Parts: sequence; structure tokens; C-alpha cells
Amino acid sequence: MAKKRKFNLQPKLLIGLVLMAIVLMFSLISILIIIFCGVMYQYYSWVTFDNASVCSYVIDGDRIERYYNNGKIGEKDDYYEMIGDYLLEVKNQVGLQYLYVAVPEQDNIVYVWDAGAPDEDGIHKLGESIQMFGEIKDVMQTAYAGGADMLDSVLFTESSAVAFVPLLNSDNKPVALIAVSIPIERVSRHVETFTVLALISTIVVMLISSFFYYLYIRKILVRPLRNLHHAVTGLVSDNMEHLDSFDLKIKTRDEVGDLANGFNQMVKELNEYINNLSRVTAEKERIGAELDVATHIQKSMLPCTFPAFPDRKEIDIYATMTPAKEVGGDFYDFFMVDDRHLAIVMADVSGKGVPAALFMVIGKTLIKDHTVPGYDLGAVFTEVNDLLCESNSEGLFITAFEGVLDLVTGEFNYVNAGHEMPFICRSGENFAPYKIKAGFVLAGMEGMRYRAGSLTLAPGDKVFQYTDGVTEATNSDNELYGMERLENVLNLNKDSAPAELLPKVKEDIDAFVGEAPQFDDITMLCLEYKSRMEDNNE
Amino acid sequence: MTISKKQNGTELEIALEGRLDTTTAPQLEGELKHSIDGVTDLIMDFSKLEYISSAGLRVLLAAQKVMNRQGSMVIRGVNETVMEVFEITGFVDILTIE
Repeated sequence: MAKKRKFNLQPKLLIGLVLMAIVLMFSLISILIIIFCGVMYQYYSWVTFDNASVCSYVIDGDRIERYYNNGKIGEKDDYYEMIGDYLLEVKNQVGLQYLYVAVPEQDNIVYVWDAGAPDEDGIHKLGESIQMFGEIKDVMQTAYAGGADMLDSVLFTESSAVAFVPLLNSDNKPVALIAVSIPIERVSRHVETFTVLALISTIVVMLISSFFYYLYIRKILVRPLRNLHHAVTGLVSDNMEHLDSFDLKIKTRDEVGDLANGFNQMVKELNEYINNLSRVTAEKERIGAELDVATHIQKSMLPCTFPAFPDRKEIDIYATMTPAKEVGGDFYDFFMVDDRHLAIVMADVSGKGVPAALFMVIGKTLIKDHTVPGYDLGAVFTEVNDLLCESNSEGLFITAFEGVLDLVTGEFNYVNAGHEMPFICRSGENFAPYKIKAGFVLAGMEGMRYRAGSLTLAPGDKVFQYTDGVTEATNSDNELYGMERLENVLNLNKDSAPAELLPKVKEDIDAFVGEAPQFDDITMLCLEYKSRMEDNNE
Repeated sequence: MTISKKQNGTELEIALEGRLDTTTAPQLEGELKHSIDGVTDLIMDFSKLEYISSAGLRVLLAAQKVMNRQGSMVIRGVNETVMEVFEITGFVDILTIE
């Protein structure tokens, strides 16, 4: 696991739910309180207004004029006392803050009744006048004019709700105002109680429902996901060894179930894939091992013991082959034809792989078999070509060069079937390509005639032959190694013995190629004619 | 390597561009196998061919053998590098090079 997990899904879910519940709760309670307050205010408006209205029905308007008539204060009588007691009773029973009847003047009101116990403070007497201003004055005047509906004649102050209702005389004319006031603290007490109750009940409901919702989510989401996670990590920790017994037991018919099914399916296919892959890999390994054997057999067919002829002082010969990745078709050969004749062969089968390797074996065997003492090399290649054409269904061909050196005379007979020109280095001179008219490649076409050529080597002369793997070695810029580079490195080391010369050339090729892959076999052979052989017959 | 073909009745002209080597020879071989049927005049345009390897020669030889039976094959625009390969391998003797 690259990153350590900070929070599990469960606590995240729980915290989320609780936060959501709190937000919901507060918004819900706020809305409820606003609505509740509105309702409460309306209710108190009704209560105050109703109380005032009832009093206005009870009190005889005509009598007001006796107690107060255009600024003159009249006598109290029994009726006045009775109404006073009545109002006090109402005030105490209902729990009003104050209850009074007054006649509004221009800026003042003149009290007629003001309900209160005889010893109560702040109770106004009949005929007392106080000045009115502000909102109260406006509401009073509107109510007195009779143009106000209920809610307009109720005034909410900081501490109370006050309702004003006009008192009418028998001519339906307003003669006074009844004012009723209920202390507002009752409203706020109601709101407080409501808030506490609402808060408690919402908290309980929210917590319970969140808890059950949490359990539900845990059952349908968190648990299956955890099972899935355990199953998958289990697979990995078992090194994928129990794929065939893998079965997720999640049967929900939703996305989680789909995910589990997808996993089951995936593991099943993975299992099949792995089984397939192991089969294919085993097969590949088998083929690879067989190809390895083939490469070894092919390599062991080339003479590789040096010095090759330790008892021959007349010649020194060295050859190397660096195979490319695949089994290739290059080969070299050298052998004594008879006591005084040495044959060298350098050849390259077109194409790569097993077909080329098999064809190489045939070609090599045929050439060696046909090279017999006293037989013209041109005739050797002509016959070998016809034989190769018979067994060539793949359309392969071989470029080949063969030379036979007479160790006594230094005569070097050669035949070239489409192969690269050899380099000849005369003693004391430089390596130079020796131009030979090439014949057609072997196995290319039946009935081709090959003609041998001849030159004479003197003691100290060298012959270098190679395949196109040398000149066509390619570096990462797609440049070919080429004849010129080959000629240069040969001449830089022209005095070295064959066994030292070839590694030097190979080093130079490697330095040129660098990191680029080797596409073709690199095969080289160098023959040095050191001294003439004594002819025992002469 | 890019191969462009022009067919005109029984005459087929194939122009090669790039390198004809081990990796690209199978491409030409497949192309020829696919379209050589019924062709009597096969013209190979090598004027844009930079290089040919023995794998390429093998495909040419196979094509030449087929065309020996059903018509003729001509190679045009051979550059110096490719001509050298033809000379070294003796292919000049069996191919018709214009």
C-alpha cells in the first residue's frame, strides 16, 4: 500500500451523518421557532384584543360622559365602583399587566378607570392625564377613530402586548379607549419551553435515525467493501495461488454486487490466463532449450581447436564466429584435402533460424565431401549447387567462397559463389580486397556453372575472408561498418598473427556498433602462409 | 520500407523505398505472393531503394523463378550500393537489370 489510509470509511460515514443531523436539526428548529413565535404573537394579539373587546361590551359608554365630559371630571358613583372592581377582577384573573379606560385628547389621555388594588403603585386616578407620543399615540388614535382592524390595534412593546379597543356610547360614537396589556415574558416563556422541547425531540429523532441509517449503510456498503478488500489482499498475499477457489460471497443486487461479480469474473479469467501462460511458457522454454542445443550442435560443427595444425609450420590459421541472437547460417571450415593441400571455406546461408541452420549443415557437408584432391573447384561448386537445388523447398541460398592452397607451390585456387571478396595481404604490403568475378549464389538456380580462379601466394602472405555480418554491422545511427573501416583496421594490425588479428577486428566492430543489437552472425577467417612445404616427392 | 504498387492489366510495377533487409523482406514476400498471380510483366523500381541484404536477395530470387515460368521480370533504377551487392553475389547474371 503506497499511502497510509488516514480515515476508514466507517468513522467518515458516522461523522458525516452526525454533521448532517446537526445541520438539519438547527435549521429545522430555527424554522419551527420562527413559525411558533408568529403563532404565539397572533395568539396574544387575540387574547389582548378579546379581553379589551369583552370589557367594551360590559361598560356602558353613556356613563363615561358622566365621569368625563369635555375636560370636566364628574362624580364617582356606585356604577363606577362596580366597574372598577370588575376590571380589577379581570386584570387579576387573566394576569394582565394593566387594564384601563381613558379618554384620548389632543396629545394626552385622561384616565377614567385604571384597574388596580387600592394600595398598588402607579395606578392612575379618575381624571388624571398623561401625555402620549410616538407609536402608542398613533395606534391609539387609529383605534379610537374606529378605522383599525384587530392586528393594527395591538402593539408589541419590549415588555408587553397592548390592545386598544374603542368604547362606544348608545349613538355608536367612541367616547373612550380600553387598553389591555399582557406581559410579553409569557410569550418568551412559551417560546423557551417550545425550543427546549423541540431541541430534545429533534436530537433524539435525528440521533436514532442517523444511527439506524449508519447501520444500514454499513450493512449494504462498508461490510461488502471490506470483504472485497480482504478477499483481494488475501489473493495477493497467497501469491495468486488459490485463484480457482476464489469466490466472493456478496449477493446484493446492486452496484456492490456487480463489483463483486466483476471481481469473481476477473479472477476466473485471470486464473485461466495464468494457466494458459504457464502452459505457453513451458512450451517456449522447451523450444528455447532445444534451440540452445541446436546452436551448440551448429557451433560444434565448426572447427574450433586452435592452433588447428600444430605440427604444420607452413601455415597459421584462425577463425571466429559470433552468432547473432538466433541460430544463424554463417559457417567457416578448413581442412587438409591431402597432405599438401589446405582448403578454407567461408559461407553464409540466406535467412535465419532453424531452416538456415539445417541448410548450412547440408551445404557444409556437401562442400567438404566434394573437395577431393585433384578435382577442379569450379566443378565442386557446380555439383554442390545442383545437389542443394534438389533439397531447397524454402528458396534459401548460400553465398560461399572456397580456396585450396598448395602448401608446396603457394598456388591458391579459389571459387566464389556470390560471396564477399577476400582480402589479400602480400608480405610487407597492405591488405587489399582481391577482385574476383563472382559466380551466382549456391542453391539459387539449377545448372549454374562455376569457374575456379587461381593466384599464387608467397610465404608471409595472408588471406582474410569474412561474411557480410562484418561489413553490415550497424550502429545506432543505422550506419554500416563497411569495407573501408574493415580495411583500415586490418592494415593497422597487419603484422599480427591471425589469432591476434581477428579479435582486434572484432573489438573495432564492437566499438563501432556500441549498444545497437547484432542482427547477423559475424564470421571471420585468416590464413597466413608462413613458409613453403618441403616436397618429399621431388 | 514502403512498397507502392501499380497494376496495369497483366503488367505489375512495384516501387520500393528504403531498406530491403531481414526485417522488411517478409513484407515484400507477402506482397508478391499476394499479387504475382497472372502477372506477365513484373517491373521492380529500385530507384529509391537504399540497401538490399541477403534476405532481400532471396525474395528477388524467388520472384525471378516464378516470373521465369509466367513471363519476365525487369529491375530498374538500381543504385551503386545495390548494384555492388548484385555483382558480388552473381545476381547480375540471372536478373534483368535495366
